[in-house]
Amino acid sequence: MSLSELAVHARGLTKRYGRRPALLDCDLDVPRGRVVGLVGPNGAGKSTLLNLACGLATPTTGTLRVLGSPPAANAAHLARVGFVAQDTPVYAALSVADHLRMGAKLNPSWDPALAARRIARVGLDPGQRAGRLSGGQRAQLALTVAVAKRPELLILDEPAAALDPLARDGFLRDLMEVVAELGATAILSSHLLGDVARACDHLVVLVGSRVQVAGDVADLLTRHHRLVGPRDERDRLPAGVEAVATRHTGAHIDAVVRVDGPPPRGPWRVAPVGLEDLVLSYLTRAAGEGNR
Amino acid sequence: MSWLTWRQFRVPALVGVVALALFAAYVVHLGLDVRDAEDAYRAQCAGRPDCPRLAQLAVDYENTSLYLAALLAPVPGLLGMFWGAPLVARELEAGTQRLVWNQSVTRRRWLAVKLTVVGLAAMAVTGVAAALVTWAMSPVDRAADNRFSTVLFGARNLAPVAYAVFAVVLGVLIGLVVRRTVPAMAVTALVFVVVQFLVPNLVRPHLMPAEHVTLPMTASAINQARGLGGITGAPVVKGLTLPDAWITDASELRTRDGTPLDRAIFDGCFTDPPRTGAAEGPFGDTATCLADHDLHVDVAYQPVARYWSVQWLESGCYLALAGLLAAVAFRRVQRRPS
Repeated sequence: MSLSELAVHARGLTKRYGRRPALLDCDLDVPRGRVVGLVGPNGAGKSTLLNLACGLATPTTGTLRVLGSPPAANAAHLARVGFVAQDTPVYAALSVADHLRMGAKLNPSWDPALAARRIARVGLDPGQRAGRLSGGQRAQLALTVAVAKRPELLILDEPAAALDPLARDGFLRDLMEVVAELGATAILSSHLLGDVARACDHLVVLVGSRVQVAGDVADLLTRHHRLVGPRDERDRLPAGVEAVATRHTGAHIDAVVRVDGPPPRGPWRVAPVGLEDLVLSYLTRAAGEGNR
Repeated sequence: MSWLTWRQFRVPALVGVVALALFAAYVVHLGLDVRDAEDAYRAQCAGRPDCPRLAQLAVDYENTSLYLAALLAPVPGLLGMFWGAPLVARELEAGTQRLVWNQSVTRRRWLAVKLTVVGLAAMAVTGVAAALVTWAMSPVDRAADNRFSTVLFGARNLAPVAYAVFAVVLGVLIGLVVRRTVPAMAVTALVFVVVQFLVPNLVRPHLMPAEHVTLPMTASAINQARGLGGITGAPVVKGLTLPDAWITDASELRTRDGTPLDRAIFDGCFTDPPRTGAAEGPFGDTATCLADHDLHVDVAYQPVARYWSVQWLESGCYLALAGLLAAVAFRRVQRRPS
């Protein structure tokens, strides 16, 4: 796949704050046209990766290309990437209408009809000062400013974190609609698997400053299997089968394995793995490595 | 971008304009008052063009002139604190740079527009304030002939405008580095005060090569001085004046061969001078005693004719420094973002 077909392309991407690494030696290719879920526990480096992608931070080492260019390369490139930062910052003293006017003044590709439609649909009062909005309304305002410039890539850092479960569901559904309308690529980070399972068709799991696994959801699901069998079979997994996580239940083991090809034959039962189980397996493995 | 800058800046701008209006009303009132006094003295001169009575104007308004200078002096610093320092620091503190830096405007352009709008506003405010003060005090300045003095120089004509540009850019850069509004304001004020103290004392005297002259310390010359003896008891004469000149540096009292006056002789003349019974002036017998030692003082000075050259040079220095700080800010906003 050529670089221009990728939304994000990273090689050896590392970001340190002082001596503390926030992101270590990450290789990542995110194709265009996907809704990408970036999952991992708090402090895994999700915000760092997204801040690097939109140019708010600069890499310590490594290369990073976003839509084929260095992040925030110039005004034209900025116009192609929309970003909703963590805790959805807005100008407290400015009204909702002021924010839309700001968007119109600062973005040549601004779509005033789209912005007005969204504001009306989520029920924001244009005269309201942004400092008086609720967390959910603020997130909607920030999302509106980001999407109304019709970006090719929309990056959202924990956009639904401040919302209650109901508002969160509505927000994510709304997000999916607008991404589909724009035909954009979207990358959203979350520490909640449910959000990602519902919204995303591409997955990046980030734990301990490193990318643990990345790929299309459908593809990941066909490559991962759950094997349940006698305990003593554990060490006899055939070549090419990688145990991501194993659990012992009595005389049996229960392993999530990754295979490039059909599931391995053996004295075990093969079952499909759900997305949440798959992610949890990687999180568990990374946590175990971290503790060692 | 200019719309957003104006939208965010309109409240501080309004506060500045209101403060300027109050200041202007007061200074205009004062200026008219000065002109009334000037007319009254002229009337006493009955048409003599050189009107010696006008010199009294300088005495009457000496304190007012210093007070006005003290009122104008903090204006650039206040603009740096309240307009410059929060400009970027507030964004970084509230995290809104993450919103605005992802619109289709580069960070450099964002900073350039903000700096331009606020810098021009600061120039306008100090320009008006300084022009009013210069106008109001011009009859006094003509009579006193001391506008080259350390305090008044920075409160007239061009210099305050250049100070304001410097203060605003300084505030913006400090805000960018400190990232918090209130500490940035405090640091800006501190740095600005230090610079404003250092420049008149260490830089301005050397902006043009000083002229040198030797002043013989006769009894009458000593009696025209403001004081004798330094804080440490050094043999110095304080507050010497030279017509049409700003004395930038004066040596201690020197004997005929150029060596400093022996401290014991100075102390002797000071505490127990020979009684002549005929000495006049504020220092009396002490002045006569010192004059008998055939002393002189070597002074460095800037002729008043250089006033405008030094105004331009000092303003140029402040503007160049502001340009340098702005360059650092542009570099930093691009290379070391949030």
